[in-house]
Amino acid sequence: MTIFREREIVHGMNAEISRLLEDVGGLVTLPQVFLRISQLVDDPQSSLSDIAKAASHDPAFTLRMLRVANSAFYGFPSAIDTVDRAVSVIGTTQMRNLALSMSVASSFAGLPNDLVTMDNFWRHSLYCALIARALAREVRGCDPSAVFTAGLLHDIGELVLFNRLPEKARASLLLVLDEADDLPVYRAEQRIIGFDHAEVGGELAKRWGLPELLVECIACHHDIGRADRHPRETALVHLANILAQMAELDLHAMDDVPPVDPAAWVLTGLDESIVEQVVYEARREIAETHELFFGS
Amino acid sequence: MPASLPGFEHIRKSWNATYSAYAARILPGEYYVTRSDEGIYTTLGSCISACVRDKACRVGGMNHFMLPATADTDKLGGLSAATRYGNFAMEHLINDILKNGGKRENLEVKLFGGGRILQNMTDVGMRNISFAREYLETEGIEVAAEDVGDVFPRMVVYFPATGRVRVKRLRSLHNNTIADEEIRYLRNVEGKPVGGEVELF
Repeated sequence: MTIFREREIVHGMNAEISRLLEDVGGLVTLPQVFLRISQLVDDPQSSLSDIAKAASHDPAFTLRMLRVANSAFYGFPSAIDTVDRAVSVIGTTQMRNLALSMSVASSFAGLPNDLVTMDNFWRHSLYCALIARALAREVRGCDPSAVFTAGLLHDIGELVLFNRLPEKARASLLLVLDEADDLPVYRAEQRIIGFDHAEVGGELAKRWGLPELLVECIACHHDIGRADRHPRETALVHLANILAQMAELDLHAMDDVPPVDPAAWVLTGLDESIVEQVVYEARREIAETHELFFGS
Repeated sequence: MPASLPGFEHIRKSWNATYSAYAARILPGEYYVTRSDEGIYTTLGSCISACVRDKACRVGGMNHFMLPATADTDKLGGLSAATRYGNFAMEHLINDILKNGGKRENLEVKLFGGGRILQNMTDVGMRNISFAREYLETEGIEVAAEDVGDVFPRMVVYFPATGRVRVKRLRSLHNNTIADEEIRYLRNVEGKPVGGEVELF
């Protein structure tokens, strides 16, 4: 009986998240160039030049992508002047991640809100992405480009909540400010809304058919124990989300930011000695990377 | 729960697990003074809080205010309405501490807030910081510690009995919510005239 009731509650919440996402369906869409590249990456018959052709189809994308490929973001030793060359040095699955990362700002422009400026929202996300990528480079078998994209997307559920449930979302933020105890935003959301931004973001990523790694990192970044397919990548995004706050707020002690789930260190094999370096580097890279991904 | 001093009964207090103590929450425009071993906390965007206490007799408190953006032409006794309002906020806090046994020569002050949390606004935070510093200099009270300015909001938890303060810098996710609260407070302040009469000790 209890089990049945719990399931009913979970089902009820899922139904509510589904309803929210149905409403935003027409407002946030992924660009054709990403969808096309994504399809080709998943197709074992496709070749590198098919992917390059798909990328070239969108001249604005091509231009921006080559700018990123030639920037310090990749730091390739020689100039990359064709899309073919870019796909071959960046990699095909990595090209899909890059196409997604480069389009998040325009994809979510249709979902405005009064609670956070897009500038502040994406700055935090970008810090998280840069730090997740830097951490991933130290973890064997983790793809830094996938984790970068996961970091950039980790809070997209917040934009859905802020747009669709502005009053409850505001009440959640006010609850955080009202408690001198360190109440995390996602817990305030669970209390007031019944679910949190991670669940909403994960569900949106799933509906979009994004790779499972991204879905899991987004859905479980506050609850890494739930990640069963990509626990290490999820742990990296969890860590990066917290370290991003150190970078944003110019903090140097981990006591000043929300606590890290100790399992994240165990899963990644990393320890606190890496923190200072990755936070410092992210602060150094943020302006240029922001221009690359969010500039006009 | 420690009893509130007369005049502060309306300030909400709750048990705080992190500090194992009761803590009073003050909002923009409010202040709170206590002789008990309890905390006072508030959230600051571009507003400023002075944490003031008598080091010897353990009475102290916190205010939370912002100078109204009224024109400086509105003078009364040579002081602009903004300065009069700021003086009010500081004097109410200090006078209540003195009324409850504090001595001027024992006062210790810490300053927090004045962040520039909205990019497209003039730096009202800096105006508040400058006012508070000048006020204290004129009064001959040294600032023992401060965390002011920069671009983020802060949550400040203060324990007047020991002088302990914890300042938590808040993520930009909170900027707009805090700014909305401050703008509402400012409109309220600007709608009310400020007189010149403050009882001085």
